[in-house]
Amino acid sequence: MDDVILSVTDFVGLLNQTLEFAYPNVVVQGELANLRVSKNKWVYFDLKDEFSSVKFFGTVYQLPGPLEDGMMLQVRGNPRLHNQYGFSITVQTMQPVGEGSIKKAAALLQAKLAAEGLFDADRKRSLPYPPSRIGLITSGESAAYHDFIKILNGRWIGVEVRLADVQVQGDAAPAQIIKALDYLNTHEEVDVIVLTRGGGSAEDLGAFSTEQVTRAVAGSRTPTLVAIGHEVDLSLAELAADQRASTPSNAAELLVPDKRHEIEKLSVARKTLLDVLNQHAKNQSKALKEARERLQQSIESSLRDFAQNLRLSRQVLNAFNPTAALKRGYAIVKSEGLLIRSITSVNKGDALAITVADGTINAKVSD
Amino acid sequence: MIKVAVKKSDYKSLNVELDEVLLKLQSDDLDVDTAVALYERGIEITKDLERYLKEAENKVSKIKADFS
Repeated sequence: MDDVILSVTDFVGLLNQTLEFAYPNVVVQGELANLRVSKNKWVYFDLKDEFSSVKFFGTVYQLPGPLEDGMMLQVRGNPRLHNQYGFSITVQTMQPVGEGSIKKAAALLQAKLAAEGLFDADRKRSLPYPPSRIGLITSGESAAYHDFIKILNGRWIGVEVRLADVQVQGDAAPAQIIKALDYLNTHEEVDVIVLTRGGGSAEDLGAFSTEQVTRAVAGSRTPTLVAIGHEVDLSLAELAADQRASTPSNAAELLVPDKRHEIEKLSVARKTLLDVLNQHAKNQSKALKEARERLQQSIESSLRDFAQNLRLSRQVLNAFNPTAALKRGYAIVKSEGLLIRSITSVNKGDALAITVADGTINAKVSD
Repeated sequence: MIKVAVKKSDYKSLNVELDEVLLKLQSDDLDVDTAVALYERGIEITKDLERYLKEAENKVSKIKADFS
């Protein structure tokens, strides 16, 4: 048989046609090597194992997160022969595999977002306490939802909850969560957005550590409270949130006060009111007692002064007592009942009555 | 006295009023009549607040939009 002689371009076309027919889509797993990003758009890398190495080509939008040479990757793509640059597989999807690689990828992503400041403490806003309207993003059928609502109802009153029912695991989850966050920020007036789900495997909780969901939580205008899984689980969305709770129940506990505690505070307030009133009464009676004492003292003082004055007056009066004068040798001279104070008031021969201290002497004027 | 339901907006303002009553009651120059009146108002407020805490309920509703 005569060989068909192909032009180079025809060969390339033929080979690609064959590949497209036989292997339109392949999934290859290997170690990442020579990762290179060009013009912030094109991605080139190799997947290799002990014996072989194959080139891959894709775009930055296909990157699952920051990657590093040495990580195990699983890539779905289309093999083809480029008319200029040789053989490569065009990437459709790619993801790290194996616990080591997944953990590595997560650590790299966390470092990248932390460096951007997404988890900074001073970005965190305080939540209104208590909130009036809560936007709740979770799966409506889940135990997490029922636990949260149950604890909320047991603790507080007068709260309105708007539920955004979404998938909380699987490939569809991140997009739904982001849509719900956006909806609550633009179409609902809520004081706080609660994003929560219950426990699960690392894969189950994966949506809450994706770059898109983490950025969406960080960028929420409304303050966020994120509670994913159990106490030990810490997703990137929780780090980016304004507040983190360990579980859905814990989220309800942090969000609102306990009305039983508030009722207790009211009975304490009643006791305080009574105590203050009694204190007033005590103070009033004390003031009255003091006033009475002051009045008493004032009266006694006045009385003492009065007694003193009386004594002085008596002394003065005593000085003018005629009896005392008579005792001292003075006499009262009267003539026919009239008091004689001068020699011109008597004539020779007049009868005089001279009163001395112990009696009266009858006398006649001789000179 | 007719029992009027306490609204959520009242809850906040009643709390503020209670604080004011307690503050006024602690001032030194207060005659007995005013003190008793403040005390009675304070007790009334605590009873209203307690009734609100015991009777008011939450409201949970599902957003109709589709997020898929």
